[in-house]
Amino acid sequence: MEILKQIRYEPAQVTGGYTDQLLEIDLSKLQITIQDLSPDFKNKYIGGRGYALKLIWDGTSRETRYDSPENILVMASGPLGNEPSFPGTGKFIVGTISPLTDTFIDSNVGGHFGPLLKLAGFDALAVSGIASADSVIVIDGDLRTISIIAAPAYDKEIDEGSLSFGKRLLEDINDGEYSDSLAAVTTGKGACNARFGIINSLFFDRKRNRIRAKQAGRGGTGTVMRTKGLRGIVVHSSLSKANGNNAVDKEGVRRAGSRLREVISKADPKQLHLSAWGTTILSEYMNKFHLFPINNYQYGQSSESPKLFAGVFLDRYFTKNMPDGCYYGCNLACSKSSENVELTRGPYAGQKVSIDGPEYETVGAVSCMGIFDPHFVLEYNWYCDEYGLDTISTGTTIAFFMECFERGFLTADDIGYKLTFGNMDAVDRLLHEIANAKGFGKVAGQGVARGKKWVAEKYAARNGISQDAALVELSKFAMEVKGLEFSMYVTKESLAQQGGYGFALKGPQHDESWLIFIDQIHKELPTFEDKANALKWFPLIRTWFNATGLCKLPWIDVRNPEAANTDEPAKNLPTLAYYVDYFNATTGSNKTLKDILDDSERLYILQKLINLRHGKGTRVSDQIPLRAMGPVYFNEYESRAEYYDGWLREQLGDSEVPAAPEKKHELLVKKRIEAYQQLCDIVYEEKGFSSDGIPKRETVEKFGLLDEQAGKLLQGFGM
Amino acid sequence: MAQKMMVSVKFLGMQRVVTKKDSVNIPITGEMTVKDILEFVKNLYPDLTLDEEMLFVTVNQEKASLDRLLSADDTVSFLPHISGG
Repeated sequence: MEILKQIRYEPAQVTGGYTDQLLEIDLSKLQITIQDLSPDFKNKYIGGRGYALKLIWDGTSRETRYDSPENILVMASGPLGNEPSFPGTGKFIVGTISPLTDTFIDSNVGGHFGPLLKLAGFDALAVSGIASADSVIVIDGDLRTISIIAAPAYDKEIDEGSLSFGKRLLEDINDGEYSDSLAAVTTGKGACNARFGIINSLFFDRKRNRIRAKQAGRGGTGTVMRTKGLRGIVVHSSLSKANGNNAVDKEGVRRAGSRLREVISKADPKQLHLSAWGTTILSEYMNKFHLFPINNYQYGQSSESPKLFAGVFLDRYFTKNMPDGCYYGCNLACSKSSENVELTRGPYAGQKVSIDGPEYETVGAVSCMGIFDPHFVLEYNWYCDEYGLDTISTGTTIAFFMECFERGFLTADDIGYKLTFGNMDAVDRLLHEIANAKGFGKVAGQGVARGKKWVAEKYAARNGISQDAALVELSKFAMEVKGLEFSMYVTKESLAQQGGYGFALKGPQHDESWLIFIDQIHKELPTFEDKANALKWFPLIRTWFNATGLCKLPWIDVRNPEAANTDEPAKNLPTLAYYVDYFNATTGSNKTLKDILDDSERLYILQKLINLRHGKGTRVSDQIPLRAMGPVYFNEYESRAEYYDGWLREQLGDSEVPAAPEKKHELLVKKRIEAYQQLCDIVYEEKGFSSDGIPKRETVEKFGLLDEQAGKLLQGFGM
Repeated sequence: MAQKMMVSVKFLGMQRVVTKKDSVNIPITGEMTVKDILEFVKNLYPDLTLDEEMLFVTVNQEKASLDRLLSADDTVSFLPHISGG
């Protein structure tokens, strides 16, 4: 391998969850630098997302775009990542300026990369610059070297695929053998050609004796990676993973982990049973309550949905009775896998492949395109991973164009073929076109926000109307906010989750808040104030998980039986207490849950400041498409007319509800729009923002974030 | 002869795997509650893991308590808590 730059270093030991070292690599200058991080840095920014936010706040400007050399691709675990005696500690964050949203995006991903990076001596890796030729970074804690090497060339097929290239790279770097002392991140050619490129996190699974992959899927982090000319990063450390954080109170860590493991082992088999089904179990429950996206979120339920329920994947594809965690020590083990699946479509038709998944979101992406074929889900999953494309954004984008075609905004001439809901051949064709930047794939690869402008131009020219008028109509069902495509939940009947998507700082991804059940089904948030409280509390605690290197599922998707005896069972506070204990035992601090929420709020406000700086931080950027609030078109209203009429009667009383169905539909839409605006007002107040969604000066000051840049920024907004 | 009053219990997820059914119809008499039906189902399918404190109950798609009185043709589901990953 051709070494372009190499340094020797002494890996810092992990103490209390931190190495206090940052690895900075500038690919333009071939510069490798190790920075000490001050105690103040970790105390204020925790780790993971917090580190990414601070590095990007300081190191980029309002002019920075995803492809600017100064854009930084940050990867960081957190103080609680890498502890096999506590479930769910394999997570790390990839943060950068997004090609979709033009502001900060982060995506959390499991696997071994984050833990191994820490064992190799680094709390975070920050890559800037653009390589003059495709490169790979190798961080070798055993050899004590950090290298930038020329990306090896194998053959075209391997080199273009994220999974294929990553597997070969891991083999190559370790003398032909896989090892769980190595992990890699890679992406594929799709990330070169679409804005929603992903980063695969590859690790060796001893039980399956193969390389597996998890994905940092949202916001185009893979696109940034490829734009930098970075084909892969390999990290190597054979230090013991046990007690990897060198916790201050090892017995405290063991005790907290043991309690969480016990809850999981007792409760998961009686609840979602994620250990058996993975997240595919959600399809059935989402469908039951009209939350499963069908035909670009027009509907939330279909008679065909059972073809995509978990039992189908378990019977036909998933390996049974094999715990499938993405990191050691997780007894939730929800990371299901399908082996020896024969591809029937695309350039690799006839090959048998192993597929890590599907997850619920991928299943939902396929139903969103009106397809209910489980084998298609598997193939779609594999090709997206291999190409390095986000299954969510790809599905939401294609579904949008399908609706454009079906409603006459696009023609077969525009696309090159008939892109109808449920048309597997058309989706198959478009998926490969996106990955290869061919035909209509060049348009679709830009995502929904840019795609709708392209459609508006075509439609306006053809019909003699203004582009603005066309755009207004298209925006009603273009499922994006801030430039990011929606993840896979229908929010029409949950005002709280409309806010959960609309206020989410990165765009409509559910990892900031998922309030549908407690709002729509449990009815635990009856007032605007209740919703606003939840829309503050849940994003803060979820942000903390993304800052510490933890998976949220053992907390949020396994309800501790003791939570039933608390005032707010949905917060699952008895389990959260284990996490607070785990944090304190690892780091030697003495924090309460309130302290943790305050720490998290600092990160939340910092992310809001970055959004403001990049033009995505005010009220207008929190607006959601009408499709997310209710039935845009009459066919949607008709499909649940009885329900919607009941909703109107409940809101207005019998006498105020008009008789004509068209008038009822009109009134319903009006009421939904009014409700969302009212929610904005109350949520901004709750969060300490102005009515335009801008953090008040005192809010920023309270968290020690009022530096010179923040002061000028707020001044520019009249704050 | 008076027609029997029935309620339907829908099985989802793992419940369907255990029971091998989508639903079961259960006759009700007098003032029967959700809790009575829960006990009935537990006796009918001892392998089902239905733990009161871990369940979320709906009757006709709406949240319901265990002491809710049932009426003829009600549809009951015993669901897990779902919080969205």
